[in-house]
Amino acid sequence: MQKLGDFKLPQFFNYPPYFTLQPVRDTRDKQVKLWKELILEYCRTEKIFVIGLEEDFPLFSNPVIERSLGHEAKEAFLSFLVSEGRAEWLDKGHRRCLILWHRIEDWADIIIHFVKDNGLEDSVMTVEEMRSGIESRGTELHGMDRTILMRALKLLEHKGKLAIFKGTSTDDEGVKFSL
Amino acid sequence: MRRRPGIGGLQTAAAARDQYRLLGENVAKLRTDLMKEQLATFRSQLEEFARKHKNDIRKNPAFRAQFHEMCAKIGVDPLASNKGFWAELLGIGDFYYELGLQIVDICLATRAHNGGLINLQELCSLLRQRRKSDREAVSEDDCLRALSKLKVLGSGYEVISVGKKKLVRSVPTELNKDHNAILELAQAQGFVTMDEVERRLNWTSGRAIDALDTLLEEGLAMIDDGHRDGKRRYWFPCVSSISSSIVIDS
Repeated sequence: MQKLGDFKLPQFFNYPPYFTLQPVRDTRDKQVKLWKELILEYCRTEKIFVIGLEEDFPLFSNPVIERSLGHEAKEAFLSFLVSEGRAEWLDKGHRRCLILWHRIEDWADIIIHFVKDNGLEDSVMTVEEMRSGIESRGTELHGMDRTILMRALKLLEHKGKLAIFKGTSTDDEGVKFSL
Repeated sequence: MRRRPGIGGLQTAAAARDQYRLLGENVAKLRTDLMKEQLATFRSQLEEFARKHKNDIRKNPAFRAQFHEMCAKIGVDPLASNKGFWAELLGIGDFYYELGLQIVDICLATRAHNGGLINLQELCSLLRQRRKSDREAVSEDDCLRALSKLKVLGSGYEVISVGKKKLVRSVPTELNKDHNAILELAQAQGFVTMDEVERRLNWTSGRAIDALDTLLEEGLAMIDDGHRDGKRRYWFPCVSSISSSIVIDS
């Protein structure tokens, strides 16, 4: 089986027609679904949060069979992810796409677990600390995309689990947990 | 016999006819008895054989195929019923019913990928993958037998021959001669181009477009516009060697 780094590629990745957007609906539905799973799995493994449609993305071409996805196909696959709530366009021109291999709610749950595991129920932390501090090392929060983190924190704030406030230092924000 | 006049003559003639008939019946009965006896011996011999080679029949696909062939020649169908002597003796009925079920499963799971038409070889290898925990090997002959049992259900599982290959069809799509010709052509590389179809089959472009469009619509073909030469390729997952990527959870 072909690999991309440590990532195992599925067999359809070696079948040329999967790189052309299929005209017949049933066939395209299946194609789009396979790509959706592949994109999510790859991004989860490689911790990729944003896919730029105009940049090179290793998953979107297969040198072994000399095929790569056209713009239309990329946009169709990502749009499907968006429609399933597993991605969001970052701009109106659909050039950059935020990939949610965990949904926002799932990220929120991960934060709650993290807080409980570290006994931070009543503590204060900066957003930056959560992404790169010692406590989060080895957890999924480490190195996560700031946009997604903020979205998950806002969801928790909305539920009354924490409060977000402007920190004293430049532009970092602080979080006060109250679980 | 000298014809004798009068009632007495008629009676004698009738009595003689009766005698002949009785004799005839006796001979026929003797023959049937003999035949029955022979058949019984034969049956017991076959049973004896089956009992003796039970393990070979179960485990060795080639031996199993030969046994089936032998049974077919003498008009015995070990699969006719699951309750009969044969099934009880060999457990062979269950084996094929199980295979049949697994075949249906595989056909359903790969349908989205191949449009409901699958190469018999591929079906077999998927079947083997799936049954890897079982010691008993499965041959193409076994697949075909299990498929023939599925026909009873009227579910439309059919084996069709395209070129040298056998394909198993699990959707009610009717393939006409033109479609078969294209599938046969595609067996070489897994795909065809419009040019190739027109040239190799000597068709007008209208005929080629028509047939290819139908195959696309039926989900049996996929287009590929990515090749350097810019010519659209029509791929057929049911004939190409890259086996379907669908993992079947058991």
